[in-house]
Amino acid sequence: MAYRLPKKGLDQTLRAWAEQSKVFAPQKREGYAQFLPWKAGVELLLDEPHNTRFPPKAFLLPQSETLLTYNRKLNQLETPTLQISPRIIFGIRPCDAHAVALLDTVFATQENPDPYWRARREQTILIGVGCNQPATTCFCTSVGSSPFDHAGLDAIFTDIGEAYLVETFTERGEALFAGLPQAEANDEGQARSIQQQAEAGLTPAFATDNLKDHLDQIFDSSLWNEFAQSCLGCGICTFLCPTCFCFDIVDEAQRDERVRNWDTCMFRIYSLEASGHNPRPSRAERTRQRLMHKFSYWIEHANQFGCTGCGRCVRYCPVGLDIRAMLRKAAATPSEVVHAN
Amino acid sequence: MTELETKIRAEAERLLSEHLVDVVVAFRKEDAPLHPQPAFFTQVDELQDLVYNGLCANNLANYLTRHPQETRIGMVVRGCENRSVNALVVEKQHTRENLVLIGIPCEGILDWRHIVALTGENVLSVEENGESVCVHTRENTFAFSRVELLHPSCQRCLHPNPISADVLLGELKPEGDPELMRLRIEALENLTLEERNAWFRHEAERCIRCYACREACPMCYCTECFVDHTEPRWSESGVTPAGMQAWHIVRAFHQTGRCTSCGACERACPMDIQMTYLTDKLNLDMIDAYQFEVGMDTTTQPPFATLTLDDKNRFITRGK
Amino acid sequence: MNATPMKVALFQCRWCLYSPEDQAWVDHNLPENIHLVKVPCTGRIDPLFILNAVQGGADGVMINGCLPEKCHFKEGNLAARRQLAEFGSFLDYIGYEQARVRFVWLDLQDRGRIQRELAAFERTLEQLGPAQALATRAPAATGGTHD
Repeated sequence: MAYRLPKKGLDQTLRAWAEQSKVFAPQKREGYAQFLPWKAGVELLLDEPHNTRFPPKAFLLPQSETLLTYNRKLNQLETPTLQISPRIIFGIRPCDAHAVALLDTVFATQENPDPYWRARREQTILIGVGCNQPATTCFCTSVGSSPFDHAGLDAIFTDIGEAYLVETFTERGEALFAGLPQAEANDEGQARSIQQQAEAGLTPAFATDNLKDHLDQIFDSSLWNEFAQSCLGCGICTFLCPTCFCFDIVDEAQRDERVRNWDTCMFRIYSLEASGHNPRPSRAERTRQRLMHKFSYWIEHANQFGCTGCGRCVRYCPVGLDIRAMLRKAAATPSEVVHAN
Repeated sequence: MTELETKIRAEAERLLSEHLVDVVVAFRKEDAPLHPQPAFFTQVDELQDLVYNGLCANNLANYLTRHPQETRIGMVVRGCENRSVNALVVEKQHTRENLVLIGIPCEGILDWRHIVALTGENVLSVEENGESVCVHTRENTFAFSRVELLHPSCQRCLHPNPISADVLLGELKPEGDPELMRLRIEALENLTLEERNAWFRHEAERCIRCYACREACPMCYCTECFVDHTEPRWSESGVTPAGMQAWHIVRAFHQTGRCTSCGACERACPMDIQMTYLTDKLNLDMIDAYQFEVGMDTTTQPPFATLTLDDKNRFITRGK
Repeated sequence: MNATPMKVALFQCRWCLYSPEDQAWVDHNLPENIHLVKVPCTGRIDPLFILNAVQGGADGVMINGCLPEKCHFKEGNLAARRQLAEFGSFLDYIGYEQARVRFVWLDLQDRGRIQRELAAFERTLEQLGPAQALATRAPAATGGTHD
């Protein structure tokens, strides 16, 4: 269903939501956009071309989370009861919501769902705001998403000047807008042309035809060494990535808790084995892992790229390693040149 | 191509073609308009990619420890990088004889974060013209003076000139004012205990433990960092308050008498955390207590690597 | 007198207590609020040890060692003095009072002094109150901050 929400009415809508659940919306703090609890009178960052710096995946997969506590004296385990209140994340960008949909294929599968993820996902409503003007670092259209992608969203807003066109995709999304006037035909027409314009503004950043097969073929290329030379080996690209989900389960023995923390393939200890052997001993294997996972192994797993083109890794890499340029270089690397290590 | 770039390329070409070095470490232009990339040139014909400008934000000395001691390295160094190299030579991380330092008196690094904050995300290119800087974005063009875009560490820089370069390209710059760093730290020291604590907690709580500060730092070259130890575990592993604070405290403290205040850690941080207020304080303490300034030569050991019987007794109580 | 006594982490160089009675008292009769960590020399004390004590909830840290020229390992205590003194003032800079980290050097004539020093330190800590400035390892609230 499509509704028309005048911009002046947004505050009232958010106020009504906030009475029933927690509402988070992008606001500027410490000089950058963050999802913070909405309060009456706060200034929202909805027009900015860029995204929040920290990805909203943390709402569903906290960076550190206690999985269970144990008592060594009594020889007992205790799983914490999750107390998650209903939450609405307003103003999430389609790329980040698409990433949540991708992560559902990991954490919310039929046969093996992650109870922590599922509990949070069930309580979380994602209301997106599409991107009228994607930033220069955005490349969602190159990886199968778009500035007005619906994946993962309960509803999406399109800025049509004086008002927003609200399109709902789920029942719980629908319920939030009951009572709003239905959109008129010319509102929808306007929204479509804005959406098409935004999409047309994004040119393909790299060739995706046959990308997986090609990457598989250059697995042993010296190209990865070239990337690794400048790569610092920090976790910025993966921690800020909305789709990276690797985690490490650690016993915090000093406080008797088993904790799940985000992990990143860029760290030396990521694949370090207890014996001391490391199957990814250098940065070359680790940078390769990041790209291969997103553009090859994800295809095997879900037949989609594990990247939604949000551009955070491009913006914040301290040595300017641009994933788009890396993929272009990979595409230009002939597959027959195979370097035996 | 600027005049300075021409000179650097010519020098790099000489070093490579005369086989004086195995690799030249410098920057190259990459697609990201705000981040020239550290690059490793081994062939003369690759040198056309070499760039040098105010956006070259990394401390290239960071890449020194990635090469074995036998590798002969030609490295483009500014004041801070030269001193980092010296400090690494003191710590026997490379042989000075195997290094050729191409020194560049530094005009200061432009803070890309500050540029983005002023112009928006869609920066296409940055043009430098002496003291003025022109930023072209998709929507607009902005003109700034270089001074207003300088990274805070560079505003406080003491030694912009390379002190022991083998080749010096460009005009020497005036030395910085040592009071600037001192004033900042003293202002913090003069806060009440609660205020200092609040400041520290505020900075540490944004940490996402990506360790970009560690990886960007030339002096953080340990094979195994204390946070990566699992047995014994020295700090909480996650983004808990205790874990984040432990990281910031110990990272800074391990830099005592080793940090050259280049600010590469702050420039790399994705969460805009200020960190130099910790390392600068420790460095000032070392200057005051032991008259030791990091990287001023290649022989003096840092204070914590040496000791004397008559050190000042600071908070030690003795028999009554 | 406070209801809950101050928690003290006591780092003791195993050579610094010359009197067997003192050592026996430290080994067997320490009050419960004092947590003993015996080290082979103060030079063994990494700043991480102190940080761990602080993050483990210590209201104060006391370090006992030998006099400058009396170190069993010649100069371990001098190395400790440089590092730990600076670490103490660094902790003060970020909010953990300097007075909470105390060095005591003991000598041959200092029989019985350790008890007096500990008592005096505890009095100092009681005046300062429990340490709250730095985060301690405590069971984290379940899950993220947004729940």
